[in-house]
Amino acid sequence: MALENVILTVENCRYCLMCRHVAPVEKVTHRETLSPHGWALLIASQRRGLIDWNEDTVDAIYSAPDHGNSRVHCVTDQPLPEAIAAVRAEIAEQNLGPPIIYEINEALSTYGTPYATEEPGRISGQGEDALYVGDEAPYLWPRALEAAITLLRAIGVTPVTVGVGRSNGYLASSLGFPGTAARLARANLVDIREAGASRVIVLSPGDAFAFGQLWYERLGIDWPEDVQLVELVTLLDDRLAAGALRFSQARDDRPYAYVDPTHAIRVKDRHDRPRRLVEAVMPGKRVELLYRRERAHPVGSTALQFTKPDIAEKLTRARIEDAVSAGAQVLITEDPGTLYHLSRYAKEYGVEVAGLYELLAAHLARGRL
Amino acid sequence: MDRALFQQEMIRSEIAEIVGEEYVSTRESDRLVYSTDWSWMPQMWLDRGKPLMTPDIIVHPGTPEEIAELTFVANKYKIPIVPWGGGSGTQGGALPMFGGILLDTKRMNRILEIDEVSLTATAEAGIIIQQLEWAVNERGLMFPHYAASSNCATLGGALAPRGTGTMSTKYGKAEDLVLSMEVVLPTGEIINTAPVPQHASGPDWFRLFLGSEGTFGIITKATVQLDYLPEARYMRAVLFKDMNAALEAGRRIMTRRLDPFVIRLYDHESTRTRVRKILGYEFDGSYMVIGFDGDPDIAKLQQQKALDICFELGAEDLGEEPGEKWWNHRYDFYYPPINLKLPWMYGTTETVTTYDKIQGVYYAIKEAVEGGFKEWNVRWIGHFSHWFHWGVMLYSRFIIEEPPQDAQEALRLHNRVWEAAMTAAIENGGMINEHHGVGVKLGRYMRRQFKDAWPFLLRLKDAIDPNHIMNPGKTGF
Repeated sequence: MALENVILTVENCRYCLMCRHVAPVEKVTHRETLSPHGWALLIASQRRGLIDWNEDTVDAIYSAPDHGNSRVHCVTDQPLPEAIAAVRAEIAEQNLGPPIIYEINEALSTYGTPYATEEPGRISGQGEDALYVGDEAPYLWPRALEAAITLLRAIGVTPVTVGVGRSNGYLASSLGFPGTAARLARANLVDIREAGASRVIVLSPGDAFAFGQLWYERLGIDWPEDVQLVELVTLLDDRLAAGALRFSQARDDRPYAYVDPTHAIRVKDRHDRPRRLVEAVMPGKRVELLYRRERAHPVGSTALQFTKPDIAEKLTRARIEDAVSAGAQVLITEDPGTLYHLSRYAKEYGVEVAGLYELLAAHLARGRL
Repeated sequence: MDRALFQQEMIRSEIAEIVGEEYVSTRESDRLVYSTDWSWMPQMWLDRGKPLMTPDIIVHPGTPEEIAELTFVANKYKIPIVPWGGGSGTQGGALPMFGGILLDTKRMNRILEIDEVSLTATAEAGIIIQQLEWAVNERGLMFPHYAASSNCATLGGALAPRGTGTMSTKYGKAEDLVLSMEVVLPTGEIINTAPVPQHASGPDWFRLFLGSEGTFGIITKATVQLDYLPEARYMRAVLFKDMNAALEAGRRIMTRRLDPFVIRLYDHESTRTRVRKILGYEFDGSYMVIGFDGDPDIAKLQQQKALDICFELGAEDLGEEPGEKWWNHRYDFYYPPINLKLPWMYGTTETVTTYDKIQGVYYAIKEAVEGGFKEWNVRWIGHFSHWFHWGVMLYSRFIIEEPPQDAQEALRLHNRVWEAAMTAAIENGGMINEHHGVGVKLGRYMRRQFKDAWPFLLRLKDAIDPNHIMNPGKTGF
């Protein structure tokens, strides 16, 4: 984001409180400073010489979730997350960031992921349909990947895999390393081109957001016009609606909740699709979190898991507590990162976490459709 | 030796023992952010690159007992406690004018009970109003305090300054929607008001805390009235060439008890500028939105009766769409960059009075501001948004697009405009405000407003808060 746009955005947001009701970090920390207007006011004040970037103020800036709640609920679409990412880039460049961000950047630069110490895998071949694997699925929740491929085959899609083990660029961008983010984005684009894909299927709304919005807004990289970008839940839901996909009912009548995964709010009109898919399998009562759909909060799977693990944990627990208070005994979602973080604490609350893709794959109806 | 730092650390340590280290802060970042609320004065000050008075210590207590303990500390060291809800006040009510302990209530945000028989909700006062609304919506209910600040203000923040929501004309102000409260007094006692507000068990002391803006204590819990989500909501807009005829229409609708949940009447200038900018309509006249809700048959009939009154007084029917659009975008007026914002100077010089005086008050304030500050190209706009059986609230605002750049000079001009508007209001039978609170901005007018009753209020303050620790400098205390 250009400097003048950063300034314009923080000048607009610094005294605006209109998105507090959906601000996840303020909700779990109660600190006014850790809210959209707090971050904007800090940035605006630094530019006026009222504060410096120091350990305290940088810590506050790195406590922002980069989850888009503020922007999604802003009537005038102020790109505050993008402005904060741009300011973090300034901070990182001046070597004023928290030490952990440089470690993560090093890992992303070397391995394409902070979750492993091996280089990204090669594309699996060539074909019209590519499945973007990313790094969270293979390293945090591998079952989702296997199930996704099973489901795709069930609807007649045999995808090649691209971006295997490589981040989509969001994490690097969020930490303030747009150069690293751009390199990751371009490497993923090379994979897509080499595969000859005309359609890229993604496993999570976070990938859809990164490819469809973050790349061009923050990195100046356009998604190729001749390549369709589609979420797996969209494909599956369309086939389900067309009667081309059927599932058997699970033998589990416990009340369950679909947990809108991290970044789901950033993708318009997606909220019904995964719910319809879950309902096709789960016979129990579906309950809803209070913070759902357009007001869904993230779990700790954003950059906060590295910069502010205490806040990341609080966010994750808040999602589970929301579901528990709604009466859910099973939490279902599809995003590997969200699944991983939910599963770290779910047992403490006596609830089970289930991956949507695994659930669907396990209940594919056999025989002719 | 740095004496101030020594004192601060001694007090901070004592507070940390009460609330826990995690919930007490002296961070530079927190002190900056909590130094300004939504009012123009501190925002302008920071905008000019000038530091503000900051709190010394920010605290997030989790229980009323912890707040009680904090009052003991404050009384011992004779330091202020400034209650903070959402910081969305427009009169500087949450500004830490003299430093001290800033007490953010947002950690106390639990919903304790939703009673679907009596239609009440009991919640801790730090809950964000919209979050409470979402929770009761799950049961088919609503908390009908639909304020422009609902997204950011707390329940306590609605009660403490006697806030008003968009639907107050039918459902009442925040003060009308509360049944009971738990309050921590400045002397540390935790008290509960009677379980219901309507009774004859002595004086109505319950109301002392409504409008006290934290100067008489901190509201920590409240039971509020809910309503069923309406089956139907009918919006309609009309246009009056003559604003006075529109005021008369509103008076007749209210005095005949047709029960609209909203009547929003914009004066010509507001229609020409704000309505055009936010809603995109180019109307020449006074744009009025009227809404009815509840049972569809009754609401429809009420709407027809109200429209008949409007048409009888010369209104042009604009249809449903401009009414619906207003309802759906009613809060858009407050989003930057389309709201009133810096570098402009602006202020809401709201007032309320009886129907017989409202025109006089309107034109007196308009003349005082427009006539008195011509050299600053001041603009003055108004709308009438909260209607009662006996009168109506005037939400008037002044705008100076090129104010002085010097912060002190700008603040002085701001105060002068306010002085002109408030004098005109008081002299013509209006109140100095209706729902935005008094804060630091209007404190100076309390004596003029209440005349002989003011010493009585001062004695009350002395009795309730002998060391004047609670929110000093606010509501005239």
